[in-house]
Amino acid sequence: MTTEELQEIKVDKTIDARGTSCPGPLLAAKKAIGQIDKGQVMEVLSADEGTKRDIPKWCNKKGYEYLGTIEESGFFKILLRK
Amino acid sequence: MANKKLTLALFSGSVDKLTAAGVILGGAAAEDMDVEIFVLLQAAFAFKKENAMVNDRVAEITDKKDEFLASLKRLDAPHWTEAFRTAKEMTNVKIHICGFAGKVWHGDKLDDFIDLADDICGIGEYMTSAEEADINLFI
Repeated sequence: MTTEELQEIKVDKTIDARGTSCPGPLLAAKKAIGQIDKGQVMEVLSADEGTKRDIPKWCNKKGYEYLGTIEESGFFKILLRK
Repeated sequence: MANKKLTLALFSGSVDKLTAAGVILGGAAAEDMDVEIFVLLQAAFAFKKENAMVNDRVAEITDKKDEFLASLKRLDAPHWTEAFRTAKEMTNVKIHICGFAGKVWHGDKLDDFIDLADDICGIGEYMTSAEEADINLFI
Protein backbone atom coordinates (compact mmCIF):
# COMPACT_ATOMS: atom_id res chain seq x y z
CA MET A 1 0.00 0.00 0.00
CA THR A 2 1.33 3.46 -0.81
CA THR A 3 1.68 6.15 1.83
CA GLU A 4 -1.22 8.04 0.19
CA GLU A 5 -3.43 4.96 0.41
CA LEU A 6 -2.44 4.39 4.04
CA GLN A 7 -3.25 8.00 4.88
CA GLU A 8 -6.76 7.58 3.53
CA ILE A 9 -7.61 4.63 5.77
CA LYS A 10 -10.10 5.45 8.51
CA VAL A 11 -8.43 4.86 11.85
CA ASP A 12 -10.65 3.67 14.69
CA LYS A 13 -8.09 3.89 17.48
CA THR A 14 -4.77 5.67 17.90
CA ILE A 15 -2.16 4.61 20.44
CA ASP A 16 0.58 7.13 21.13
CA ALA A 17 3.58 5.14 22.37
CA ARG A 18 6.21 7.73 21.41
CA GLY A 19 7.38 8.13 25.00
CA THR A 20 8.34 4.50 25.42
CA SER A 21 11.15 2.23 24.29
CA CYS A 22 10.98 -1.45 23.36
CA PRO A 23 8.91 -3.34 24.43
CA GLY A 24 6.64 -0.40 25.39
CA PRO A 25 5.00 0.18 21.97
CA LEU A 26 4.36 -3.52 21.48
CA LEU A 27 2.80 -3.83 24.93
CA ALA A 28 0.71 -0.70 24.31
CA ALA A 29 -0.57 -2.30 21.09
CA LYS A 30 -1.31 -5.53 22.91
CA LYS A 31 -3.27 -3.69 25.62
CA ALA A 32 -5.25 -1.62 23.11
CA ILE A 33 -6.14 -4.34 20.62
CA GLY A 34 -8.74 -5.67 23.05
CA GLN A 35 -10.56 -2.34 22.87
CA ILE A 36 -11.38 -2.51 19.15
CA ASP A 37 -13.62 -4.86 17.20
CA LYS A 38 -12.61 -7.28 14.49
CA GLY A 39 -12.24 -5.39 11.23
CA GLN A 40 -11.40 -2.07 12.91
CA VAL A 41 -8.12 -0.28 12.31
CA MET A 42 -5.61 0.79 14.96
CA GLU A 43 -2.55 2.97 14.48
CA VAL A 44 0.46 2.90 16.78
CA LEU A 45 2.64 5.99 16.97
CA SER A 46 6.22 5.17 17.88
CA ALA A 47 9.72 6.58 17.63
CA ASP A 48 11.31 3.26 18.56
CA GLU A 49 12.96 1.81 15.46
CA GLY A 50 12.54 -1.84 16.50
CA THR A 51 8.77 -1.40 16.66
CA LYS A 52 8.61 -1.13 12.86
CA ARG A 53 9.63 -4.77 12.64
CA ASP A 54 8.02 -6.02 15.84
CA ILE A 55 4.45 -4.98 15.06
CA PRO A 56 4.25 -6.68 11.61
CA LYS A 57 5.67 -9.90 13.10
CA TRP A 58 3.29 -9.68 16.04
CA CYS A 59 0.35 -9.14 13.66
CA ASN A 60 1.35 -12.20 11.69
CA LYS A 61 1.50 -14.37 14.81
CA LYS A 62 -1.75 -13.08 16.27
CA GLY A 63 -3.75 -13.14 13.04
CA TYR A 64 -4.10 -9.37 12.58
CA GLU A 65 -3.53 -7.64 9.24
CA TYR A 66 -0.49 -5.35 9.11
CA LEU A 67 -1.42 -2.55 6.71
CA GLY A 68 1.79 -0.51 6.55
CA THR A 69 3.90 2.19 8.11
CA ILE A 70 3.76 5.94 7.48
CA GLU A 71 6.95 7.86 8.15
CA GLU A 72 6.48 11.18 9.92
CA SER A 73 9.01 13.66 11.23
CA GLY A 74 10.81 11.98 14.12
CA PHE A 75 8.30 9.15 14.48
CA PHE A 76 6.12 6.81 12.45
CA LYS A 77 2.60 5.44 12.37
CA ILE A 78 2.03 1.71 12.10
CA LEU A 79 -1.42 0.69 10.89
CA LEU A 80 -3.06 -2.66 11.46
CA ARG A 81 -6.51 -4.16 11.11
CA LYS A 82 -7.86 -6.51 13.79
CA MET B 1 -4.31 -23.93 20.37
CA ALA B 2 -2.37 -23.98 23.64
CA ASN B 3 -0.19 -20.98 24.40
CA LYS B 4 3.52 -21.32 23.80
CA LYS B 5 5.66 -21.52 26.90
CA LEU B 6 8.77 -19.68 28.04
CA THR B 7 10.78 -21.02 30.95
CA LEU B 8 13.38 -18.70 32.41
CA ALA B 9 16.11 -19.74 34.83
CA LEU B 10 16.91 -16.36 36.34
CA PHE B 11 20.25 -16.50 38.11
CA SER B 12 21.46 -12.92 37.93
CA GLY B 13 20.71 -10.36 40.59
CA SER B 14 22.13 -7.41 38.69
CA VAL B 15 19.99 -4.57 37.41
CA ASP B 16 21.21 -4.80 33.82
CA LYS B 17 20.35 -8.47 33.42
CA LEU B 18 17.09 -8.14 35.32
CA THR B 19 16.19 -5.27 32.98
CA ALA B 20 16.93 -7.47 29.96
CA ALA B 21 14.79 -10.22 31.48
CA GLY B 22 12.00 -7.66 31.86
CA VAL B 23 12.23 -6.74 28.16
CA ILE B 24 12.02 -10.41 27.16
CA LEU B 25 9.04 -10.87 29.46
CA GLY B 26 7.38 -7.98 27.62
CA GLY B 27 7.85 -9.81 24.34
CA ALA B 28 6.40 -12.98 25.84
CA ALA B 29 3.44 -11.04 27.22
CA ALA B 30 2.71 -9.47 23.83
CA GLU B 31 2.45 -12.97 22.40
CA ASP B 32 0.32 -14.36 25.25
CA MET B 33 2.97 -16.91 26.16
CA ASP B 34 2.77 -18.81 29.42
CA VAL B 35 5.88 -17.97 31.43
CA GLU B 36 7.53 -19.68 34.36
CA ILE B 37 10.44 -17.97 36.06
CA PHE B 38 12.72 -19.81 38.45
CA VAL B 39 14.55 -17.35 40.66
CA LEU B 40 17.96 -18.84 41.41
CA LEU B 41 20.86 -17.79 43.60
CA GLN B 42 21.77 -14.15 42.99
CA ALA B 43 18.35 -13.35 41.59
CA ALA B 44 16.82 -14.50 44.87
CA PHE B 45 18.91 -11.82 46.59
CA ALA B 46 17.43 -9.19 44.25
CA PHE B 47 13.91 -10.49 44.87
CA LYS B 48 14.17 -9.98 48.64
CA LYS B 49 12.00 -7.10 49.80
CA GLU B 50 14.89 -5.04 51.14
CA ASN B 51 16.96 -5.42 47.95
CA ALA B 52 14.60 -5.18 44.97
CA MET B 53 14.70 -1.40 44.57
CA VAL B 54 18.44 -1.02 45.24
CA ASN B 55 20.07 -0.27 41.89
CA ASP B 56 23.71 -0.67 42.83
CA ARG B 57 24.49 -3.98 41.16
CA VAL B 58 25.40 -4.19 37.50
CA ALA B 59 27.16 -7.35 36.37
CA GLU B 60 28.34 -6.36 32.90
CA ILE B 61 30.58 -3.39 31.93
CA THR B 62 30.63 -2.25 35.53
CA ASP B 63 32.53 0.94 34.68
CA LYS B 64 29.41 2.10 32.80
CA LYS B 65 27.02 1.51 35.67
CA ASP B 66 26.20 5.20 36.21
CA GLU B 67 25.66 5.80 32.49
CA PHE B 68 23.46 2.74 32.25
CA LEU B 69 21.28 3.76 35.18
CA ALA B 70 21.06 7.33 33.90
CA SER B 71 20.00 6.05 30.48
CA LEU B 72 17.20 3.98 32.01
CA LYS B 73 15.97 7.20 33.59
CA ARG B 74 16.38 9.25 30.39
CA LEU B 75 14.45 6.66 28.39
CA ASP B 76 11.80 6.49 31.10
CA ALA B 77 12.31 2.72 31.06
CA PRO B 78 10.36 0.95 33.79
CA HIS B 79 12.27 -0.51 36.72
CA TRP B 80 12.66 -4.27 36.23
CA THR B 81 10.12 -4.94 38.97
CA GLU B 82 7.56 -2.89 37.02
CA ALA B 83 8.39 -4.68 33.75
CA PHE B 84 7.86 -8.02 35.52
CA ARG B 85 4.61 -6.73 37.04
CA THR B 86 3.30 -5.56 33.65
CA ALA B 87 4.05 -8.96 32.15
CA LYS B 88 2.20 -10.63 35.02
CA GLU B 89 -0.82 -8.44 34.37
CA MET B 90 -0.85 -9.22 30.66
CA THR B 91 -0.15 -12.93 30.47
CA ASN B 92 0.17 -16.00 32.67
CA VAL B 93 3.48 -15.54 34.53
CA LYS B 94 4.41 -17.61 37.54
CA ILE B 95 7.48 -16.68 39.56
CA HIS B 96 9.03 -19.38 41.73
CA ILE B 97 11.77 -18.71 44.26
CA CYS B 98 14.28 -21.55 44.52
CA GLY B 99 14.10 -22.83 48.10
CA PHE B 100 17.86 -23.27 48.40
CA ALA B 101 18.52 -19.80 46.98
CA GLY B 102 16.09 -18.29 49.43
CA LYS B 103 17.88 -19.88 52.36
CA VAL B 104 21.25 -18.64 51.11
CA TRP B 105 19.93 -15.10 51.66
CA HIS B 106 18.01 -15.92 54.87
CA GLY B 107 14.68 -15.96 53.09
CA ASP B 108 12.73 -19.01 54.15
CA LYS B 109 9.23 -17.70 53.60
CA LEU B 110 7.41 -16.31 50.58
CA ASP B 111 6.77 -13.17 52.63
CA ASP B 112 10.53 -12.44 52.64
CA PHE B 113 10.32 -11.67 48.91
CA ILE B 114 8.58 -8.99 46.84
CA ASP B 115 4.96 -9.67 46.00
CA LEU B 116 5.80 -10.67 42.43
CA ALA B 117 6.89 -14.07 43.74
CA ASP B 118 4.18 -16.74 43.69
CA ASP B 119 5.78 -19.55 45.66
CA ILE B 120 8.95 -21.27 46.83
CA CYS B 121 9.82 -24.44 44.96
CA GLY B 122 12.44 -27.10 44.35
CA ILE B 123 14.53 -27.75 41.26
CA GLY B 124 12.31 -30.63 40.15
CA GLU B 125 9.67 -28.13 39.08
CA TYR B 126 12.23 -26.32 36.96
CA MET B 127 13.22 -29.54 35.22
CA THR B 128 9.59 -30.34 34.40
CA SER B 129 8.91 -26.80 33.22
CA ALA B 130 12.04 -26.70 31.06
CA GLU B 131 11.14 -30.02 29.45
CA GLU B 132 7.76 -28.64 28.45
CA ALA B 133 8.96 -25.20 27.31
CA ASP B 134 9.14 -23.94 23.75
CA ILE B 135 11.84 -21.50 24.84
CA ASN B 136 14.16 -22.10 27.79
CA LEU B 137 16.52 -19.32 28.84
CA PHE B 138 19.21 -18.89 31.48
CA ILE B 139 19.94 -15.30 32.44
